[in-house]
This record gives sequence, structure tokens and C-alpha cells, in this order.
Amino acid sequence: MEFKKKKLTNGLNLIGEVNKSAKSAAVGFFVKTGARDEPEQVNGVSHFLEHMLFKGTERLSALEVNEAFDRTGTEFNAATSEENTVFFAKVLPEYLIEVTKLWIELMRPALRDEDFDVEKNVIKEEIAMYKDLPSFDVMDRCRSLHFDGHPCGNSVLGSEESVGNLTAEQMRGYFARRYAPNNMVLACAGNFDWGQICSIVEESCSKWQKQAVGRKLEHCPGSKKKKRFEKPNLAREHICLMSPGVPAQDPRRFAALLLAAIVGDDVGSRFFWELVDKALAEAAAMQFGAMDGTGVFHSYIRCSSENVTEVLDTIKGIFGSLSKNGITKDELKKAKNKMLSALVIKNELPMGRLLDLGFNWIYLEQYRTIEDDISAIRAVTVDDVHSLMEQFNLGDFTQLSIGPAQDRGQRTEDRGQKTEDRF
Amino acid sequence: MTERLDKHILKNGMVLLGEPMEAVESVAFVCMLPGGAARLPDGCCGAGSVIDDWIFRGAGDRNSRQLGDALDGLGLHRASSVGSSHITFGAALEAENLPQALDLYADIILEPHLKKDQFELARQLAIDGVHALDDDPRQKVMLKLREQFYPSPLGRSTLGNIDELTALTAKSTRAIIKGNFNLSETIFAVAGKYDFDAIAGQMENLFETGRKKLLEPVTFGAKSSEYTHIHNDGAQVHIGLMTETVKPTDEDYYNAMVAVSVLSGGMSARLFTEVREKRGLCYAIGARYHGLKDAAGVMCYAGTTPENGQKTLDVIIGEFNRLSEGISEEEIQRAKVGLKSSLILQSESSSSRAGGIAGDYYMFGRVRNLDEIKNKVEATSVDSVLGFLRNNKFQDFTVVTIGPKCLK
Repeated sequence: MEFKKKKLTNGLNLIGEVNKSAKSAAVGFFVKTGARDEPEQVNGVSHFLEHMLFKGTERLSALEVNEAFDRTGTEFNAATSEENTVFFAKVLPEYLIEVTKLWIELMRPALRDEDFDVEKNVIKEEIAMYKDLPSFDVMDRCRSLHFDGHPCGNSVLGSEESVGNLTAEQMRGYFARRYAPNNMVLACAGNFDWGQICSIVEESCSKWQKQAVGRKLEHCPGSKKKKRFEKPNLAREHICLMSPGVPAQDPRRFAALLLAAIVGDDVGSRFFWELVDKALAEAAAMQFGAMDGTGVFHSYIRCSSENVTEVLDTIKGIFGSLSKNGITKDELKKAKNKMLSALVIKNELPMGRLLDLGFNWIYLEQYRTIEDDISAIRAVTVDDVHSLMEQFNLGDFTQLSIGPAQDRGQRTEDRGQKTEDRF
Repeated sequence: MTERLDKHILKNGMVLLGEPMEAVESVAFVCMLPGGAARLPDGCCGAGSVIDDWIFRGAGDRNSRQLGDALDGLGLHRASSVGSSHITFGAALEAENLPQALDLYADIILEPHLKKDQFELARQLAIDGVHALDDDPRQKVMLKLREQFYPSPLGRSTLGNIDELTALTAKSTRAIIKGNFNLSETIFAVAGKYDFDAIAGQMENLFETGRKKLLEPVTFGAKSSEYTHIHNDGAQVHIGLMTETVKPTDEDYYNAMVAVSVLSGGMSARLFTEVREKRGLCYAIGARYHGLKDAAGVMCYAGTTPENGQKTLDVIIGEFNRLSEGISEEEIQRAKVGLKSSLILQSESSSSRAGGIAGDYYMFGRVRNLDEIKNKVEATSVDSVLGFLRNNKFQDFTVVTIGPKCLK
């Protein structure tokens, strides 16, 4: 593996990790913009814009863009989060140059009114689709409750109303401000020729204009509010818990990842043995999400309405025991083994490597080898996890649930503040 | 592309396959046991989900917790699934831990404790899984579609149904395990970094059992109705649609794959272009080939708001019908490149290769070489695909919808 980097005078970063023995290559643009960067009146614009980049340029129609990708057999997609928009493709080495040129071209889209109008319907369909996925819906609503006014609580999809009111002109303004070369990284991984990529990028991207871009960073302690929403067509209770953690720039992020795995990995965690193995909940998982300047531990639990009180009491017990007795050496060792093997397996594929490469540059402006991450995970001690838990008490969480209508008499105090909202 | 296939047949008849991969440090394995939903006795729908959980609740000299801890201690990434024909267990891990992992899986397959108290928990989780399906209409519509499309019991729900799960007992489920965990019909595959001779020796020792009589072949019943609607006051109507086509073993299989790819292989394919790009009717729209050993179909999903439901279904059926009227040379070329690329891109993952070689062996009785598949795809043409479509029209659709209103 050989790392390469280059920065154009307009601020565009180009990074690559060459692995000549790989059968494929991956290439993608990482744009440092997402829902948290949106003014309220244009909520949802980052995600909508991600769709619009595939609608073509002054030279290419949407159909021509799709045909150009499909002619190379590329597997490609894009994703928008609270703070990043990522465009990525995995491709056979012989097509990498063609696909890189295509991505570069798409980063300067036409944003035509007629395409905007048709795609708005697709976005509204996507919003409707996620409404029918309570496991997603509950996370989205809990995020907004937890961040409570902090920009990280902005919805990535936006609402039907905010997307409905959005104009193509507003989108073009947002694009001009955020898709500046100094706010973007082009990354490549796998089997490719660095020299060739460099000359294409220099030739095609040097004319892009640098802009004053920024983002206000502020840690968010979380609202710790509790809410429940009813949705009559649901069969199960869907519960999301969120509490604060360290930011992506903090070296303690590895301890945070291990703590989340100890508490809520799919199998073998405290949630697993106390909730799933005992059939109290059919799903219970915790993850840690490191973000720009802040971080969150988030849990998702699904169970029957009858089990809600017992499930929440059990979780309270797990968090209580963790803060009182801490974690064991053995738990930490198992969590490390699982994380290390996942890291090795993921990084065997150029696409897995591309994502780590790109995000490390976005958050840290740093190249980290797989070995760097392996050493960092191995170095975490029980004391590291304990001191993290002292600063970030998992028991101090925001809670949002959605579930079927329930008998009012059954409600209990510890299920938190109730609202009568229906949606 | 030069790939090697390792093969060894154990004394008990279990087939052991391997595909070494030079560029990786990991290894993945899958074990396909003939205990899928269609192999279950009548009245036991869902027993596969229970078994999939129950056998991990203690095996050999380890109780449930000790077994879970031992698997986690090896850093295993476990995956298991219940299909129509098989229950499949597998894992991906760092290569050096494979021998210990095989020891544990031999215990799980040969000596699960199958305790009654653990059965109740496993069954409760399986029942919960069926209830949870009501909150996931997209998955539910596709499970219901398979049930309606395939002749019974091929499309039987792999999750189960509440009544039959409730009627299951520890005793009846133990009997199913005893009958269906037939090692003489089991396929075990590894891919990645491994020593095949060492694995073959270890597996002979671990699975030193006699040959068993092969399971009775499944007999098929009738197909269900053409249209089913399930009411749900959700935000979308979820549409599942399926039509019959040739099986994987048919000589026209590659023509069928290319035809489905023209319909829905990429973003320039017909369905995405007509339904989403031109009309903005859906976010999620796609069709794929779904092949069992005894029957196959083209399976399509679309999710859309109720006011667009009818139009979406009409456009989809129109595109299925229109396919045999003509396909351009460019469309065929894009479909072929897409199929060939995805074959190579998937070949970099050890998990995907282990699953691929085991699946091939079950379906074809041998593992197809990647070059062979590439050549067969390459040999198709506009004429061969159109000829196939004219003789095997996509018609007679089975449709299932879930949503606030039914469609015509």
C-alpha cells in the first residue's frame, strides 16, 4: 500500500492509497456539507442536491449520465448525512479514469428547473418511504429531540413542507457556497495509476473557485428529554436512546467505539445477553457515532408494548451497573477481537478502504494506515473506558419512542413525558 | 482470471469446497444444511427461525453464554439465514482462528443442547420477528409475494406464521433437527486464506458420522391467487410483482439474466428510467432474477404514495410487456458489462465467494468457473435475448400490495 496526496492551489485535496494487487478500484468525492450546514428555510437541500448531481451537466442529460456509468459496469451511489455528502463508485481498474472524469464533471451540475421539479417528487416519495420504516423514523426524531436546536438535529431528508417550498434558485445558491474545492476531497483506493489521476484533476478542477466556507462547531450535551409518539398502524414499540460522546477528532473515539460494542453489539454484548437472549426485546443495539466537534451514543430497541417497562428497567440496570462496577477485562478483549477482525475484513475491499481514507481526511486531515487503527484499538485499556464513562454517563440519555396506541391506564411514570402528537 | 477450486467429499457424504484468495488475510465459511422452509413438515412454518437461534444456545461442553463468549473471543462475524431449501450458517474471521471456529461449529451442528427453557426463548424471538414484520411492509410484501408466486411449499415464509410457531414444541422441533440436519446432503465451503488439507483432515475428524439416507424430495401444491392486498394505513403502497421465467439450470438462463438486466440492471435500465427518472413516481424501484432449483421468477418491488400506486403498477407491467418488442444493441452491451463487472467486484470478498461456491454446488452440482460465466454472458446477443423473450414472455403476474388502498 502506498499513500499519495496533492493539494491544488484552490484548496481541493486529492488523496489515494495504491494497492496494485487489488482487482478493483474505488473513487469518490467527499463533500463537507450536510443537514447541519443548512439554514432552516432550506432544510433537506443537501440531500436533494445529492440527487440533482446525477441529473446532468450543461453537456450531459440525466439519461446520458446513467448510461455513462452503466457502460463501465460501475457500482456507484451517494449518501448524505448530517455533515457529509459522499459520492462513491467501485469499478474495474480499466474504467477508473473514465469514472473519475465523470464524477469530476458531475461536481459542476446544471441544476435545471425541469429536472428539479421531477426529482422533487422522488424526494417526497423517499420521505414517505422512511415514514413507513419506524426503525429509521425513531432515530431521526430522537436525533432532533437530543440535539434540540443544535444544527446536528436537522433532518437529513427535510420535511414534505421544507422540501415542497424549496426552489431551484435556493439550491443553486447553496451549491455555490458549499461545493467549493476547498470544502471537498477526491479519494481513490485500490488498483490505479496515481500520476494519471493527478493530471486529470489538475486539468479539470483547477478552475474551480475557492470560497469562504466554514462550520460552527459546538459540543452538544443533549436535551435528555423523553417523548413518546403514537402511530396506530404500528405493531411494536420502537425506542431510541441518545447520549453525548467524544467528537471524531478526539483520540478517545476508539474507547467510545469499544464501549458501544460492549454495551450493544448485535451479539455477545450486555444488551444482547440481558434483553435479546432473554427474549425481552427482539432487537437491541448501541452504536457510537463520532461527528465534527461532537459525538453520540445511540441505541435502538424493538419490543412488544407489554415488555416496554421491563426493557427500560433492564437498560437502567445495565447502565447503573456499568457506572458502578465498570467493564471487565474479558469484555474489552472480546470487543477488541470483533472490532479488529471487522477492520481487517472491511479493508480488504477497495471500497471499504476508500471510506476510511476519505473520512480520516475530512475529519483529521490525516492519513491513517490500517495498522495505525489496529494499534489504537489494541492500546485502549479498561481505565480508558472507565474515564470516558465518568465524563459521559450513558444513563443520562434522551429517549424517544414510537409505538401503537395504548391503554391510558397502563402508562407509568418512568416512561417519561408523553405527548399526544400523532403523525 | 485464474481461480482454483479445492474439493473433498467427507466419508459421511458432506461436500467440502474451497476457493483460495491470495490478496486477503481473512477467511469466510458457510455451511448449508438441508433444513430450509420448504423442507419442513406441514404445520411447522417458522421452525427454521427457531432452530437457527436454538442451536446456538449451548452445544458440546459449553452452555449458551460460554458458547457465545467463545465465538466472540475469536472475533467471528456471524451470519445465518433460513432460505427455501437450506439453513445456512457462516462467519468471516481472521484466518488464524479458523480451526477453533470449526471446532465450535461442529459442536453446534452435532451436539446442540436443545434445552426446553431455551426453546421457549428461541420460539418467542421467532414469534416477535413475525410481529415485527407488520412494521416493515417492504420486507413483508416480498415474503408474501414469494408465498403467493411459488407453488407450495417452495415460497413458504422463512420467518413463519404465528399459529404454527405457537403450536411448535421442543420435542417436535428436535425431531425436525434430527431429520433435516442430514450431513450427507450438507455443503461446506471456505474462501480466503486457508490450508485445505488441514481443514479436510479436521472436518473428517469432527464430522465422523455415517452416511444417512437422502431426504424425500418435496412435492408441490398449487399456486395461490394472482392478486392479494393487505391493508395498512402507512404512508406508501408497497407493490411486489413476480412473473415466471426459466430456472438457473435452463440453457436460456444467461439470456434471462441479460433480459432482467436490461429491465433493471443499472440506473439507465428501463424500470428506473421510466418509473423514476421520467415520471418521478417512486424512490425505490427495481427487479431482479430470483431462482430456486425447482422454479424461478423475475421479482419486482416498488414503493409509492397511494395516489401514484395505480400508475406505478401500470407503468411497471407495461415495461415488462414491452421488453420482447425490441432491445437495442447498446442496452445489451450495458447489461453484459454490468453483469460481468459485478461478478469480478464481488469476487474480492471472501464471504461472497464462500456463499457463491456453496450455492453453485447446490444448484448445478458443480462450481462454475468465473471465466465460464463471463463467456456465457458474452455469448448472448440482441437476437438471443429477444428470441428467448418471445418464447418465454413475461406475462401472468402475481401481485401483492400493502398499503392504504388496493390496486386494480
